[in-house]
Amino acid sequence: MIQKNDFAIECIDIKKSFGSVEALRGVSIQARPGEVTAIIGDNGAGKSTLIKCISGVYASDEGQIKIDGEIVHFSTPEESRTFGIETVYQTLGLIEDLSIWQNLFLNREITKGFGPFRILNKAKMKEEAVKMLKNLDVYIPSIKSRTRGLSGGQRQAVAICRAAGWGSRVVIMDEPTAALGVRETAKVEDLIQRMKSQGLAILLISHNFDQVLRLADHIWVMRQGNVMAGMRAKDTTGDELVALITGASAGRK
Amino acid sequence: MSNGNIRSTASAKAEAVGQTRLTRIKEKIKDPFFWSDWLVVVAFIAVVAFFGALAPESFLTLYNLNNILVAASIPAIIAVGQTFTVATAGIDLSVSSTMTFGAVIFGLAFTNGWPIWECALFSTIAGLLVGLVNGFIIAKRKINDFIVTLGMLSVASGAALVLSNGRPRQIISAPLATLAIGEVANVPYLMFIALAIVLIAHFTLFNTRFGTHVLATGGDPEAARAMGISIVKIKIAVYAISGALAGFAAMLTISRIGAAEPAANTAILLNSVAAVVLGGVSLFGGRGTILGPFVATLLLQSLTNGLTVIGVAAYYQYLSIGIVVILSAALVRTDK
Amino acid sequence: MLVGLVAVSVATLVASGTTAGAAAPKKLKDIRIAAVVKGLDNPFFIGIKEGIEETALKYGVTANVQAAPGLNDDIGQANKLDSLAGQNYDCYIVIPISSNNLSQGIGKITKKGKAVINIDSPVDAASLKAAGGKITSFAGTDNRAAGEAGGKSMIKLIGSGKKIGLIAGLAGNVTSNARIDGFKAGAAGSTFVGPVNADWDTTKALDAANAMLVANPDIAGFFAANDQMAQGIARAVAAAKKNIPVYGVDGIADALKEVKAGAMAATISQYPYVMGKMGVEACIIAAQGGKVPAQTITPYYVIDKSNIDKALTNTSTRGYFPNQSPPGAYVDPYTKLIKKN
Repeated sequence: MIQKNDFAIECIDIKKSFGSVEALRGVSIQARPGEVTAIIGDNGAGKSTLIKCISGVYASDEGQIKIDGEIVHFSTPEESRTFGIETVYQTLGLIEDLSIWQNLFLNREITKGFGPFRILNKAKMKEEAVKMLKNLDVYIPSIKSRTRGLSGGQRQAVAICRAAGWGSRVVIMDEPTAALGVRETAKVEDLIQRMKSQGLAILLISHNFDQVLRLADHIWVMRQGNVMAGMRAKDTTGDELVALITGASAGRK
Repeated sequence: MSNGNIRSTASAKAEAVGQTRLTRIKEKIKDPFFWSDWLVVVAFIAVVAFFGALAPESFLTLYNLNNILVAASIPAIIAVGQTFTVATAGIDLSVSSTMTFGAVIFGLAFTNGWPIWECALFSTIAGLLVGLVNGFIIAKRKINDFIVTLGMLSVASGAALVLSNGRPRQIISAPLATLAIGEVANVPYLMFIALAIVLIAHFTLFNTRFGTHVLATGGDPEAARAMGISIVKIKIAVYAISGALAGFAAMLTISRIGAAEPAANTAILLNSVAAVVLGGVSLFGGRGTILGPFVATLLLQSLTNGLTVIGVAAYYQYLSIGIVVILSAALVRTDK
Repeated sequence: MLVGLVAVSVATLVASGTTAGAAAPKKLKDIRIAAVVKGLDNPFFIGIKEGIEETALKYGVTANVQAAPGLNDDIGQANKLDSLAGQNYDCYIVIPISSNNLSQGIGKITKKGKAVINIDSPVDAASLKAAGGKITSFAGTDNRAAGEAGGKSMIKLIGSGKKIGLIAGLAGNVTSNARIDGFKAGAAGSTFVGPVNADWDTTKALDAANAMLVANPDIAGFFAANDQMAQGIARAVAAAKKNIPVYGVDGIADALKEVKAGAMAATISQYPYVMGKMGVEACIIAAQGGKVPAQTITPYYVIDKSNIDKALTNTSTRGYFPNQSPPGAYVDPYTKLIKKN
């Protein structure tokens, strides 16, 4: 029997429409802490919409979200953050001309002083930034350098460290290696593996089935706003996934 | 393990350290962004050296340097305000009119018997209000900053003319006169005020959350928004700052020319934009310093002063200043 | 009708004349003069500059003519005067943009014991006093009298009791106000529309005149506080196919052409060249330690169809302004006070 509080996050029967378009028709998924849970599907399957409901960008029309077994409500990304949900955006959300430590602490700056006279505690932030990167074994020569100078893979790593550093329950990643070359993809995948040991539930959207089979512990297949199937990754194959996505196969849950 | 070996290891290490230092310097020189910060300082030193060599007995006198500092005080304050708006990838074209509007408010308060410092407070608040309106329309109504502040340029200018009936108000005040010509150690009071503002602004931009958020908003508004920064609040704030500083600068202008003039002064606006560009602030937002535009203001005023002192005809002065601005902007690569 | 008004020189040689420098009179070739005029984008001030430079050449003195970066940059002009004030010139010629903006700079110059000659636009007395400054001599057109002459001339042309449109310069400008007030006095008995401010600008004046004509189709004449605006009005009047006299002030070459062509009825011509000349001469007297006449009124002349040809033969070979003396005689009280050495 599956215990409800085994799951870091649970979506129960989420429905979302935009006008007459039903983007989510009652979607239920779960993700365990310390696991990579992949969500796959063709364009228009509703993956992005589901992710945005989880991260607070959209408010679902119907349905519930539970974190650690508790029902939660939020209507903005900031509120969802308070429940420990972080997102690594496709555009990464890094400011080029700010340094790495500034980006890691963007809108979460550590300050000293009190009242209206708060000033940045730069020394502390730099210290913590080094720790955040070390936690996931990411090597960046200097956290003081501007983000502009980093390679694609390094930036992805910084964005992931930021989400992992602040997120306490769920980290959402949307196509994290889509723009990277082979070597950098391998490095980011290693990084994602290391995140599992932090006890985070990682929700991964990816079009790359090989990657999904490599990284994921559990896979949800979506099609046209519905969840067609959910299974442990080791119990499935690439062919079956294709069939489920295209609708050739009826699905299994 | 003889001494010779240890020594050679040590010297090899020292050599390696020296090498990395050299390569780092070389890298810095190749980095265009290094120059966008430092070019203005180099240019300033060059200009001072140039005129100093040409006319040492006229240009390099304490009196003349004092003149340059006086002339630079008001533009420096306006440039600080402009830096904040440009740092968010915006621009405030209404600064000169806001200053004029502030001056008229100052004049009205003064002739109604308010003490000087209260008048300055009123003019600053007047500027702040103008800035808030600018910021609100730009941030909430999402109308282009160029258009909004251009429109406000006319509105503020017109309001100044209406309130003053088109006539300048003479302000004869002993404290203001002292402010205008007083000095400590050859540094004019006006420049002390400007320096105070420069330092506060520098501190705000680089040592507060707000400052970081300003740079983030300009650098990548989408990313900033995704991280939960309120772009709307930041934008309103920077225009409010620009307006308030312009309103405050009205007091300094009045002290210099002895009257609250409702006539527009476009040189202030153009100088502020030139100073910001020369000072390495990117017009695309997200990158810049306060000290850069400050030094750029000193540079521009030294240039004007130097050309006047050596007797260059006015026509050539416009040409020279224009060339300096364009050259510097071309050398300072701030394209994304 | 020949309205020949010869400049009357009011030479009060007594108390207000200041001496500068007590030692032996400086040699002409050692005298250095600095001048700060308004913007050089206006032909009037180019005329002043020419007058200063050519007179300086004639006497063998050095003159450095600087201008404000623009006609409305009062702070910029103050900066310029400050820059020059520290350069040990023997005498300074100033034309302030607003009546106040140069007072502090003049104060600094007075403290150094150097003379300041004010030409064309007067410096405001109260702000001057507050800054501790002294004007050694003023030479300028009596703008009020010039306006009055224009008003009288207009009445002779159109009769009294008619409607006249008034277009003024920059709001609050002393010169503009004086001309307008003088004109109204000279044309007393007429009804006046305006004055409307057109900032000395041709296009703004055109727009203002159009609006006036629409609102008041019975306007019988126009007076503009300067020629550049009068030209705009002349265009508006021609477009409306009306035959209304348009009067301007200054006497720039383009305006003289318009008077000859009949598009403008008259212009009250000033002689900026003469102003510049007198400025230099007054400076030389001061630098030589002589007593300078406190105030001199520079000549003006109503130029209309009756004397346009004579005026045209005076036009400058360079720049926009007649660079010679006016068609009639005038008195220059400074010339004879200069010691040739």
